Amino acid sequence: MGEFKVHRVRFFDYMPTAIRAMAFNAHTERLALARMDGSVEIFNFTDHYFQEKVIPGKDSRSTESLCWVGGRLFSAGLNGEITEYDLENLRPKYSLEAYGGPIWTIISNTQGTQLAIGCEDGTVKLFEVLEEHIQFERNLDRQKGRIISLSWHPSGTHIAAGMMDMIRVFDVPTGHAVQRLLVDRGFGGSKSQETVVWSVAFLSDHTVVSGDSAGKVQVWDGHTGTLVKTHLVTKWDVLALSVSKDESSVVAGTSEGTVIQFQFIAPTLHQQQDKEWVRTRTFKNHTHDVRALAEIETAIVSGGMDTHLVVRPLLEKFDEKSHASGLRKIHFPHRNLVSCAKKAGLLLFQFPGQLELWRLGDSDGHGKPGDRLPLKRKPEKLLLLKRKGEDHICCSALSSCGGWLAYSTVSCVRIYRLQTDNNNISITKVSKLPKALRSAHQLCFSSDSSKMFAASSQSSVLVIALTQSECKYVHTLKPKSGSRQPIHLMTTSVDGKWLAAANSDCEIRVYNLQKLKLHCIVPVYGSCPSAMGIHPTTNNMTVVHADQQLFEYSIVEKQYTDWSRKLQKQGLHNVWLDRDTPVTHVTFNPKNPNQVVLHDMHMFCIIDQSLPLPDQKTQFYNQMTLRSLSEQERPSHLHAFKICKTFQDLLCVSLLDDQSLVVVERPLLAITSQLPAPVRQKKFAT
Amino acid sequence: MHKMLVEKEVQPHRRSGLMTYRPKMAKKLLRKSPSSSNKFNSANMTDDFQLHLDSSDDDAPEEVTFEESKASALRSMKNALETSKREKDLLKEKRRKRQELFQEQKKRRLLPAHILEEIDTAPAKKQKLPGDQAESNHEEASCSWEEGREGSKEGYEKETKKGFKGNIRSLKGNYSVMRVADQSSTNSQQQTAMDFIQARLYGPGSQRTTNNELLSLENKRGPNKSAAMQFVNKKWGTEKKAKAEKLKKQWIQKQKVPSS
Repeated sequence: MGEFKVHRVRFFDYMPTAIRAMAFNAHTERLALARMDGSVEIFNFTDHYFQEKVIPGKDSRSTESLCWVGGRLFSAGLNGEITEYDLENLRPKYSLEAYGGPIWTIISNTQGTQLAIGCEDGTVKLFEVLEEHIQFERNLDRQKGRIISLSWHPSGTHIAAGMMDMIRVFDVPTGHAVQRLLVDRGFGGSKSQETVVWSVAFLSDHTVVSGDSAGKVQVWDGHTGTLVKTHLVTKWDVLALSVSKDESSVVAGTSEGTVIQFQFIAPTLHQQQDKEWVRTRTFKNHTHDVRALAEIETAIVSGGMDTHLVVRPLLEKFDEKSHASGLRKIHFPHRNLVSCAKKAGLLLFQFPGQLELWRLGDSDGHGKPGDRLPLKRKPEKLLLLKRKGEDHICCSALSSCGGWLAYSTVSCVRIYRLQTDNNNISITKVSKLPKALRSAHQLCFSSDSSKMFAASSQSSVLVIALTQSECKYVHTLKPKSGSRQPIHLMTTSVDGKWLAAANSDCEIRVYNLQKLKLHCIVPVYGSCPSAMGIHPTTNNMTVVHADQQLFEYSIVEKQYTDWSRKLQKQGLHNVWLDRDTPVTHVTFNPKNPNQVVLHDMHMFCIIDQSLPLPDQKTQFYNQMTLRSLSEQERPSHLHAFKICKTFQDLLCVSLLDDQSLVVVERPLLAITSQLPAPVRQKKFAT
Repeated sequence: MHKMLVEKEVQPHRRSGLMTYRPKMAKKLLRKSPSSSNKFNSANMTDDFQLHLDSSDDDAPEEVTFEESKASALRSMKNALETSKREKDLLKEKRRKRQELFQEQKKRRLLPAHILEEIDTAPAKKQKLPGDQAESNHEEASCSWEEGREGSKEGYEKETKKGFKGNIRSLKGNYSVMRVADQSSTNSQQQTAMDFIQARLYGPGSQRTTNNELLSLENKRGPNKSAAMQFVNKKWGTEKKAKAEKLKKQWIQKQKVPSS
């Protein structure tokens, strides 16, 4: 593997935001996730739960609920507005003020023609879904309390509304409330507090299932308005409910972090026994409140205040225990938040509200592998750049010489010129930006810092020339055909000749920068690329996909390289394919042209192309064994994939020009320490 | 009351014909004024108690004619009416005085008349903008004048809102001017909703604990039992540790001083 000096960086205080709501679109198999800072993320569930798109949040926008209508995504929040998102341009399309006060929930009917929102002032408002926008239709009868949750009957004729201390069932055509289901208050001290019905579910046989703040899940008969069954599941609140598509299972999420499943089965094995809702399984995958829940065909997806998304596949739906049936936790975003200036030794950290520029420390010492070297100079924070306006930062970039810095939000792009003298740093904003440069989904600097590339709408890339302190628009690289999905990955070659851009439709295009036109399109592979890198000397592009497949494509020859074909023929090792976090960064070792460095959240790997590839029977994680072997035995056991798991919870691994490795870690424990308060659980003997 | 009971017990067999039967005590009570204090009453009662004890038990109740009782009833009604009228008049007086006081204060707040005239001729636009903001949405009033107004008394408020377009209030007193953009854009309804959800989930009665305790419990119950988080992880609880260090140093100093 070689010896590297490692800069172990733990001063990136990355703090993810809590998950507030989620909605699953069964047709497109996409899960939309809303976080408390207003950002929306789209996960592709057919492609190994890859985080396809991220729509950045906004200070004034708070999302309480999400809903899909066909392929369109709507959200509603406490600012009283319904927002529709443009998923091709990754921004809100428009916002409609509902004039009902803060909106608590938004749902759509199964036919996809209407939207209903529950407002703070007690009204349920119906909106008609039209081609390009939505239009207010009418209000249902106004109630005295706030409407916290709604659920539409599959036929579209009735809506159940969860309010304070009661559930109302409305008849949609007339707008009148036809049923009132009274919910009991809790025991003991909580009798004085009103019970909030946090979520309701309306099933096709007119059964209403409700979860409330007294910790009960209750099953009601919607026709007669009577209570059928009460399940007291927790001492705290039941915050979320989700019904499976075939209505045989309901899952409830609680403040304790447990997810409880209820199934509609006959409680005993006797024949002719009526089916009823029985509590079956309990999952405890969260430490804090579970606020968003979705039951999809084969799994239960939950998310809450502990910020990670948990996908728990239901084992009875799988025939055998495989990789697909394992528990998945998604902690970190599937894109890079750290930019490294390789020549200057600077790091840029991207936060939603600001950017931080740090200079790495320095050490003269030498030591054995595993030693901690004394610092000659400590890492220092050079710059804290706060964004202007309310929109959060969606992407940022730092040039490798450290002289240029750029970031983009949905409404603007800002480029800054940095000058670092010995101890002083000065930053000047580039004032006159080209008009075409409005917002970018990805930003990238060329290696000689003469050009900047901005990925803008419809998969096109803007080329901006950078001179001493200003920038000029040069060209737009537009694809002639193909999809209009946004670009999420961009990389340039070191010699400045090539630019590769990958979009969410799994298309990778390579552009010739000298002629400023399309060079070739890489053959489309079914899974979305999660990381790309172009080799400095051979100009071979290494692409890693969300399903952990690895390809090497020669740009000059416009075909896959021999090594890549060999790898595909042999197949990747099972342990490599079973990893559950995608590779987010690919980089190369300037001193050793055979080495490719890549990392995911739990490991970083150096692939040595001169060594033989491992077959299925070889021990994959063999670094420890190799160390224990003698010099003569080692060569026979070596294989190309050298994996290091010393550093955990990695956000970025990069190689500087002086051959030292930069490892940016963010321990999950540090994130947990800053989360909001969990519930107090009394455990025996503590 | 004790007095009345006693009387009834003692003479239960007395009958009344056409005459009204009124125990001696009750007559005496009626005559007393309604606003007399309890002490006064009890003093009187003890006196009457004495009187009653003196008179014999077998006396017939006093004869009271119908006209007399009618007259006393009318008198009492008239008294009641008079007292209510008096009270109303008093209230009216009070209100009138208060109104005059407000008028006076209003006059005092206004700038001298000639300055007002000058300002009145100033462009109406500047006055329109704050006015529009006040009318258009339910957002928090950013205009300092509005704030000043809301701080004043109630009867005052309606007038000033109507009169806003015409007059400008003085900037004397504790007012402050700030930009709309500096205030948060959450209106009061949104703030109430956010407070509601915060109170339900994290407010009193929600039985929450700290992340420290959560992780410490995991440490104690896990397969490798270890100490609480603040002792295991150096970065945890740094403020408490710093405070503890300071106290320790102070204690050592204290120990040194008496010994030296």
